[in-house]
Amino acid sequence: MPLMKKLAAAFLTAAVCVTALGVTASADEPYTGYNYDWWGDPIPSQNGFVVDKVIDGSDLGLDLLDYGEGLKEDALKQLQGLSEPSDMFVDQNTGKFYIVDSKNNRLIVTDSTFSPDATQVIKELKYSHEFPESQSIIKKTTFSSPRGVYVRTNSDGVKLIYVADSDNDRVVAFNEDLEIAMEYTRPSKDVYDDKTTYKPNKVVVDSAFNVYVIVPSITQGSLQFSADGQFNGYYGANRVEATAEVIAQQFWKLIYTREQIIAMRRSVAMEISNLDIDKEGFIYTVTENKSAETDVLKKLNPAGTNIFKNLGYDDMTFGDFATRYYKGHNYASAITDVDIDEEGNIYLLDFTTGRVFQYTDECDLLFIFGTKGPQQTQGTQKGTFLSVSAVETYKGKVYVVDSRKNSITIFKQTEFGAIVQNAISLFNEGLYDEAKEPWEEVLRRDANYWLAYIGLGNAYLNQNEYGTAMDYFYRTSRAGYNRAFKSFRIEFIRANFTWMLIIVLGIIVLLIAWSYVRKYLKKKKAASKGGSDK
Amino acid sequence: MKFDLDLPAWKWPFYVMRHPFEGYDDLRWKKGYNMKVAWVIVIMFFIISVASAQLTGFLFNNTYVKVFNIVPYFSSSVILFITWVVGNWSLCTLFDGEGTMKNIFCVSAYALVPYLFSEVIIIIASNFLLRTEGGFIAFFRYLGIVWSVVLMISAMKTVHQYSLPKTIAAMFFTVVAMAIILFLAVLLLTLFQQVFVFVYSVYTELMYRFSI
Repeated sequence: MPLMKKLAAAFLTAAVCVTALGVTASADEPYTGYNYDWWGDPIPSQNGFVVDKVIDGSDLGLDLLDYGEGLKEDALKQLQGLSEPSDMFVDQNTGKFYIVDSKNNRLIVTDSTFSPDATQVIKELKYSHEFPESQSIIKKTTFSSPRGVYVRTNSDGVKLIYVADSDNDRVVAFNEDLEIAMEYTRPSKDVYDDKTTYKPNKVVVDSAFNVYVIVPSITQGSLQFSADGQFNGYYGANRVEATAEVIAQQFWKLIYTREQIIAMRRSVAMEISNLDIDKEGFIYTVTENKSAETDVLKKLNPAGTNIFKNLGYDDMTFGDFATRYYKGHNYASAITDVDIDEEGNIYLLDFTTGRVFQYTDECDLLFIFGTKGPQQTQGTQKGTFLSVSAVETYKGKVYVVDSRKNSITIFKQTEFGAIVQNAISLFNEGLYDEAKEPWEEVLRRDANYWLAYIGLGNAYLNQNEYGTAMDYFYRTSRAGYNRAFKSFRIEFIRANFTWMLIIVLGIIVLLIAWSYVRKYLKKKKAASKGGSDK
Repeated sequence: MKFDLDLPAWKWPFYVMRHPFEGYDDLRWKKGYNMKVAWVIVIMFFIISVASAQLTGFLFNNTYVKVFNIVPYFSSSVILFITWVVGNWSLCTLFDGEGTMKNIFCVSAYALVPYLFSEVIIIIASNFLLRTEGGFIAFFRYLGIVWSVVLMISAMKTVHQYSLPKTIAAMFFTVVAMAIILFLAVLLLTLFQQVFVFVYSVYTELMYRFSI
């Protein structure tokens, strides 16, 4: 009996030790990774990205610069840090970061080290010889509330920086010598409503140097300018959602008079809020509206058609699935920025929750990271945000700009995230068998990671193991299951055709025999009945 | 021989199924109502609705099966059916319907048979068909529903000896009556719950008083 007690004690001690070890190994991120399962329920998952570091104005050396005398303390303090940074652009070729410091009316250029040595501040521009001041409508050499930035290098190797200079009513393009090369100003009265403001908010430039400008409150899409500043028209408008109100309006339009129709509240599409261009030149747009259910993310070809439509992704729910109401607030996702990395992954930034949603190029949700901090802490905890404004990626790291924390948070990929990324790259190259091992590793670490089941299903499908593939596709992918089952069914029929034929023929023979027997019995019965009647 | 209608009770549902128009007249004439058979059909209705949620192939199954709760299936089959019978009886008794509760129960149950057959076919076929062949499933589903509705109209018409327009009006108002019955039932349930809570709190209060 004492031996038993000792054994039990030893066992318990061991158990306590093991549990204690498990506790100390946990990460200290302010958010828990999660993903969505087959039924659209959130399930915990491993973190794919964790906070690397947080960069603010003093890291960039902005407090070391000379701002002259005679400034009030508040104004000086504002200049010594970032103030409401609203956009960022990373030049993937040179590794340069362009940060729009909106309230300080300046553009900050730095590199991935974010050191004071690499930082350059752009405040003042000059008009070049090719574009003299006399040609300009705006005639201003400083920024006024800049809100967007984009950089593109042309075939001559001249790099042009485009800034959406919001309060100056222009998008200004200048080269590295800070010479203004072109201004994209308000289109003429004939094509652009007089009463509408023209405050460029975001800008992207395609490889043909067409400039796409987002102006808030314009619902027809983004404004497209050609390289020489000519307004070409609108590009990439959203569809009008078929809500009950819209359908009712269509009905009333049949009955109403012309005057009544004009007086009606117009149903218009939601405005697009941000865009990005991927390596192949496709433009992605996002809609930052909590009630938007369609066209939240679009992938547009040069003709302005949504490519996701044919793939069925245009009505997909991006961001968080369920709308949460808590203490009078609506916590639906509002996607404020989009970024496409070199691998084609899509990053969506949710303003409501401060979360970044990482998707594959086929809109499969990979990871969710980042969170909104409580008001009390003012977002001082690393990885929490107050008011996110932009997301960018460079060499596997994700950069999130917060316009109220006035900082840039850098996320790095975890080991788990790297395994998933590796598996997806192999999978996209068609190396299904090679992708099997990383996918199995993913499942060992997180058995709920549904994309791994699809990956393994495809691997087994590729090896013609249809039954196993079906098991993996079960409740993870209907399309995959359908493909596996099709082959499985053909193989099954081929293997068992003889037996099936014998069984079917046997049943037919039995039925015929039974009908003969029945006829015979009835005849006999009738005969005996007739006999007894007589 | 062909018109020998001395059928055993279990054959009547199949007979009316095959003769949607005069089948119920024959049933009425021969008094083929049988509660046992009717109950078997209603219970089959329940079993098949559960089977449809659980056994339909993955490609055609949209049931949320993380948590399986049998109560919704019971209420959407057996309780719904009984509400239909009660609603129809209470309505048609007032409007010169000739059917008794037992008759309505039997003929309504018999009318469900084609729907149940189609559901069984769908459950089996959904395990062998691909998504592109889903048309077959839709076909059987609509076939079963339409057939059952036709049978139900015929059944109501015969059992109450109504004209066709009156039958359809009666069926429509039966649905309204069902809604009212269910509403009252829910109301009653909540009220009784509150009464129970009240009585229980008075009881606990008294117990506290006397125990000290």
